[in-house]
Order: sequence, then C-alpha cells, then structure tokens
Amino acid sequence: MKKVLGITFGRLQRRAVGLVLLVLVLTVAVFAVVSAYQSRMLVKIVGETRDEQQSAISQTSEATMQQMLEATLIRTTSLQANVADNDFAEVVNNVYMLQAMAQGLFENRQGLLPEAFRLPDPSMEGTPSAMVLCEAGVDYTQSEYLGTAAHLSVPMIAMHRISDKIDGLYIGLADGTDLCVDEKPRIKLDGNGEPIPFPVRERPWYKGAVEAGGLYFTGIMKDAFSGKLVVTCSAPVVADGELVGVVGIDIVLESMADFQSAAANGGAVFIVNDKGQVIISSDQTGLFAAAEANVARDLRKLGSEELSQFVDRARSETTDLELLTLDGREYYMVGSPMPTVGWAVVSAVDKELTQQPERRLLGEYDKINVDASEQFRSGAARVGTTIVLMFAAMLILGALAALLATRRMVRPIEEMTQNVITCGQTGGLFQMKDSYRTNDEIEVLAESFADLSKKTKRYIENITEITREKERVSTELHMANQIQSSMLPHIFPAYPDRHEFDIYASMDPAKEVGGDFYDFFLIDDDHLCLVMADVSGKGVPAALFMMISKTILQSCAMLGRSPAEILRKTNEALCSNNQVEMFVTVWVGILEISTGKLTAANAGHEYPVIKRPGGRFELIKDRHGLVIGAMDSANYKEYELQLEPGTKLFLYTDGVPEATDASNALFGTQRMLEALNGAPDTAPEQLLKNVRKAVDSFVQEAEQFDDLTMMCLEYRGKDVQTNEN
Amino acid sequence: MLEIRKTVAKETAVFALEGRLDTVTAPALEKALAESLDGVTDLTLDFEKLEYISSAGLRVLLSAQKSMNKRGTMRLVRVGETVMEIFDVTGFTDILTIE
Repeated sequence: MKKVLGITFGRLQRRAVGLVLLVLVLTVAVFAVVSAYQSRMLVKIVGETRDEQQSAISQTSEATMQQMLEATLIRTTSLQANVADNDFAEVVNNVYMLQAMAQGLFENRQGLLPEAFRLPDPSMEGTPSAMVLCEAGVDYTQSEYLGTAAHLSVPMIAMHRISDKIDGLYIGLADGTDLCVDEKPRIKLDGNGEPIPFPVRERPWYKGAVEAGGLYFTGIMKDAFSGKLVVTCSAPVVADGELVGVVGIDIVLESMADFQSAAANGGAVFIVNDKGQVIISSDQTGLFAAAEANVARDLRKLGSEELSQFVDRARSETTDLELLTLDGREYYMVGSPMPTVGWAVVSAVDKELTQQPERRLLGEYDKINVDASEQFRSGAARVGTTIVLMFAAMLILGALAALLATRRMVRPIEEMTQNVITCGQTGGLFQMKDSYRTNDEIEVLAESFADLSKKTKRYIENITEITREKERVSTELHMANQIQSSMLPHIFPAYPDRHEFDIYASMDPAKEVGGDFYDFFLIDDDHLCLVMADVSGKGVPAALFMMISKTILQSCAMLGRSPAEILRKTNEALCSNNQVEMFVTVWVGILEISTGKLTAANAGHEYPVIKRPGGRFELIKDRHGLVIGAMDSANYKEYELQLEPGTKLFLYTDGVPEATDASNALFGTQRMLEALNGAPDTAPEQLLKNVRKAVDSFVQEAEQFDDLTMMCLEYRGKDVQTNEN
Repeated sequence: MLEIRKTVAKETAVFALEGRLDTVTAPALEKALAESLDGVTDLTLDFEKLEYISSAGLRVLLSAQKSMNKRGTMRLVRVGETVMEIFDVTGFTDILTIE
C-alpha cells in the first residue's frame, strides 16, 4: 500500500490506473501525430494553392492585359494615324493651293497691279496679319516680287483662321524678301521697332524645297523668332521656268494635343517620318522623344534590327501588337502609316507599365493570402491550445475515473485479502459479506474462498481425526511390540544360576511389530529348548501368527516331544485353520545340558552356525523340512549334534544375511561369518553386537527391511561348572 | 523393484519375473496372478531374472501352488542359484515343481 495525497493505493489499483493512463497517453500520442501530419499537409496544400493561384493570376492577367493592349492600342494608333494624316493632308493641300496660286500670280504679274504690303505692325498682335520680312542688306521696297506675292495675303490669312494647326504661312521670295502671315508681329521687331533681319533663303524649308523641287517637310526646328518647335511644309514656286520663291506653312507641334494626352496612359505616341526621325512625340525626354532635325536620330539606325524593320513596316501598314526590346526594356508597340506624307504613327507601351495592375493584383492577393495564412495559423494555434487543454482534462478525468472505478473493483478484493489473511492467522472460517456481492468474478472468487475455507476446515478436521487414529494405532502397535517383546525371554543373563551354558538373544523388528521370534526355555532341569522362527510377512498379522506359533511350539515342547514331533504337531495345528496362507520357518533344538547332546529339526529355516572349541564359526548344512503352515502333510527329520564344552551355536533369521544396502546387495552369510569370526571367543552378547554392527555398517543409509533376530548359545558343560564351583 | 511380464493364452499362462520378489513387490504378483489365473490349467513361472525372493514372495508362491493344485499344474523354470538356495533352505523344493 502506498499513500498519495492522503489516499491509500493498493498495488492492483496503481496498476489499473497506470494502464488507463498508458492507454490515454498512447491515444493522445497517436492523435497528436495524426493532427501534426494533417496540419502540415494543410499548410502545404495552402502554400501550393497559393502558388498555383498566383501563377494563374499572373498568366491570366498578362494575357488579359495583352488582349486589352492589342485591342485598344491597334485601334487608337490607327485612329491617330488617320487623324494625323488628315491634319498633315490638310496642310499639304494648303501648301499646294498656295503654290498654285503663287504660280498663277507670278505667271500673270504683267497684268496685275502690285498689291500693298507692310512691315510687322505690333498693333496687330493676336490677329493674323501679313507682314514683310527681309534678309539683311535687302531693300524690300525695291522688290519686284513682293507686290505680286502680296495678293496671297488674303487667302493666307483666311487659311490661318480656318486651321488651328497652322501657326504661320509665308512665301519666301528669290530676292531675299518674305511675306509672312501670323499673329505675332512683335517678336519680329527689335527694341527700337525696327524689323529683325530674316535670312529667307537660308531657312531649311526654303533650301529644302528648292533642292527637292517639290513638296518638302522640314524636320523639327525652332521658329526663327518665337523659338517654338515647328515642322514646316514647303513647296517651290516656279513661274515661266524661273524660281520665284517658296511657299511654306508652319505646323505647331503643340497644337497636336492628341499626342500629349496619349502620354497620360503611360505610353508614348509619336510620329516617325520617312527619315526615321521622331518628329512629334508625347515622350518628352525618353527614347522616343522628338528632336530637332539636325540632331534627331534615325530610329532605324539605333542598332535594333527589330525596330528598324518595325519602323519601315509601320510606314506601309498597320502592324500587330509587337513586343520589342530596346535598351534592355520591353515595349509593346503598334505602328500605323500616314500615307499622305509617308510617315507613321507609333504607340509604345512599356511592358513594365502593363504589368503594374497584375503586380497590384498579385500584391493584393498575396496580402489576402498572408492574412488568411496568419488567421489560419493563429486559428490552428488556438485549436492546438484547446486540444492540449482537452487532453490535459482527459488525462486528469481519465485518471480520476480509473481511480474511482478501480477503487470500486479493488476495495472488495482488499477486504477479502485482509479477511483471508485473518482467517489464515486465526484459523477462522472465511465468511461471505455483502460487499463481496459484486455480481462479477469477485463474487465468484469470494464464494470460492468461502467454499475452500469450509473444505479446508473439514479437511483439517479429517486430518486431525486420521492423525489421532494413526497415533492410537501407533500407540497400540507400540504396546503390541512391548507385549511381543515381553513374551520373549528378554532378561539377561537368563539363567544366572546355570553355569553350564550362556545364552543371549535380540530382536529388532523392521516395523513396530515383527514376525521373527526366538525362544528358549527349560523343559526340565536337564533339557533346554531353543527356538528360532520367522513368520512370513510383517506387522500385526505376522505378530499374531507368531504368537500362535510360539505358544503351540512351546506347548508341544513342554509335552516332552522330540523336535521333529514338535514341528509336525505345530504344522498340523497351524495348517488346520490357516486362511491367509501364512507360514513360519522354525529351527528348534533341544539341548541335553548334562551331555551336550543337541537334537534339532529345521522347518525351512536358515542354517544354524556352530563354532567348535578352537575352530571357527561355520554353517551347519542341516536337513530342511518344509516351512510350517504350508502343507499339513509335511514331515520333518531331526538330527543330533554333540556339543563339546566351549562350543558356540549361533541362530538367526533371514533378516541378517538378507540385509541389503542402497545398491540392493545382500549382506550374505559370508559377511555374517566374518563378523562372527572377527572376535570368535567373546561372549554371546558381544558376538550379537558385533554382527549387528557389521550389518549396520554394510546397510548404512538404507532402510532396515526385515527383522533382525539373533540368538547365541555358548555351551560350557558340566566340567566348567564344576571347576567354577 | 519387480517387473512382471505375463503371457496368457487360453489355459496356458507364463509369468516372467525380473527383480526382487519381497514384501514390497509381492502384493503386485499376487494381484497379477489373481487377475489372470481364471481358467488357467498350466502356469509357468520364469525365474531367470529373479534376483531374490523373501518369505512374502514364498507366501505368494505357496498360495499359487495351492490354488493350482486344485485345477492343474504349476512349474517354475530357470530358477537362479540364489533363489534355489532359498527354496532349499525353506523346504519349498518339496512342494514346488522346479524344472
């Protein structure tokens, strides 16, 4: 018993609780492993799903973006190309118109009156007006052409008013003068109100048109006075085979607002001319920015074959949405031709920009995912904590439940154990109690105990009874033994007053009472009768048979019969009513004390041993008759021995030669004779003791099996007695 | 220790004994004989391997001899020297048929 928290636990109970706890812990462990595995799987699935979704979003987004771009960019670009072409076509038409008008005027100038013209007038600022400019050193008043050209003032002013794309119109004349129409007369005058010289024939539009011999577009250039970036479209005027001047129209790039708005989309829209130069662009500073003609790069010569081909293609047809890599960046590009001027409008969108929504989407999605994962994790942690608490509660409740259950089970067993121990100590009867009536194995056990207890008690009573009985029998046998012994002559010296002989005998029964017996008695003063007998069998029956035999033998002897007659009579008497077929071997001898003549008869008994004076002990191989009690018809022969004084006669039963040692070897008559001859001249008593000692040392540990009965007679004769007397 | 091997065929019975026929073992032989001798007229006891016989054994032989005298014959065969000596000493040679 062990005390924990004031409660006493039996070993049984501790084992039961331990078992329950073990089962619980194992269950929890299995559950924990499964949970952990599932949780890991879940996290893995969430992660994989997230990756898959992101990839799908990415692909879908990119595809969608590309489709959108393709749809819109191609449409807007070709639209813009159309619009731009229309705008330029309008300007070109106007240039052609001016050229035609100028040509007509100059070819017919003979019949025309010179029209008035004047220098820039600051008061006309903000209103389109015609003004004269001239090269340094040229006197415009002397000009032959100005008067004719001035006829164009009205149509040029009209053109300026109609079109918002026209910044200025002019006709440069071969004599270094120029008639110009625009809204800015002030900037053409210096601080003193004098006109600023204008190198007419040096201007690119003039030279270009003369060189081209037809319609000519300048690249982007700065306006001579305002410094604004303009593109000029010009055409030479030839009258009667003579170059008289060049007509030109300035197109203000800022006026093409569409291109500016395009920039808001995050892309660039630009016009590329037949020289590959960007002439108008929404891109102010980047790759596709417009530049003045003298510094503008040819896009086809930037080193990108792709771009070069794209630009050429764009000037002839509307391209597909193409992805080009320029300066390490990717651009979606669409080009559309402007057929009137042989240029192209190109839209370019940095791929990076198209990916921004996708990135935002992915970022947003990732944020949602991360939030969800975080919530999942914290949720899982909460669930984990709950599970741990639940398990703790399970363990505690399980332990308590097991404790209570086992207490209920174990208490009757403990009581029973105590009860059994008490019963064992006091020898009391095990009593059934109500607490054992548990209606299960405990009750069966208790009943078995009660039953066993009763049986044990009865058994102990029986044993006590039997033991008592046995002790009684034993006592009686002991008494029988005493009676038997007392019936044999057992007081030595037996005849202290007879010096003619000495006699000594002993009997050691194997069991309480034996079947051996010896006897000696005086028939009369001169006749000593000696009897040595051995009844077959052992114990009480043998003892009883021995008693009868002894009595009959003695009776017959006392009647003075000879040994053979004694045996015959005894045999008859014993055979007449022998139901158990017991028999007895008998040697009987009658010594005539005065003469030493021994008459003897042997009924199946061992050979007697004789030691004549001066000789050694030796067997007398006498004649044997049948054992007494076997056959009623048996006959016995007697024989005579003459004993000299000093002769010793040794008689014994088969217990002596047939004593066996542990290995079943027989003591034998030879060893018996040796024992006797060891000290042949000692007194009968000592001789018997010597034999006994030899038998004991031979037999050693083995059980004494047969009775050991011996008798020794020493015949001294009359002479000895006389001498002693 | 005594080993008894018995062969019973109708009226003929052979008992071969091995070991010691003494107080302890004699009842076994007595029982075996009592069980088997019904209707047997020719009983043979083979004493070749019998080492020793005590008075209790002699009693059983005597009983058997008397029983067989009433209905047939009993003979002892191959009796050893030790046992023969006991028969001589006890005079049983006079009442037993020893071959």
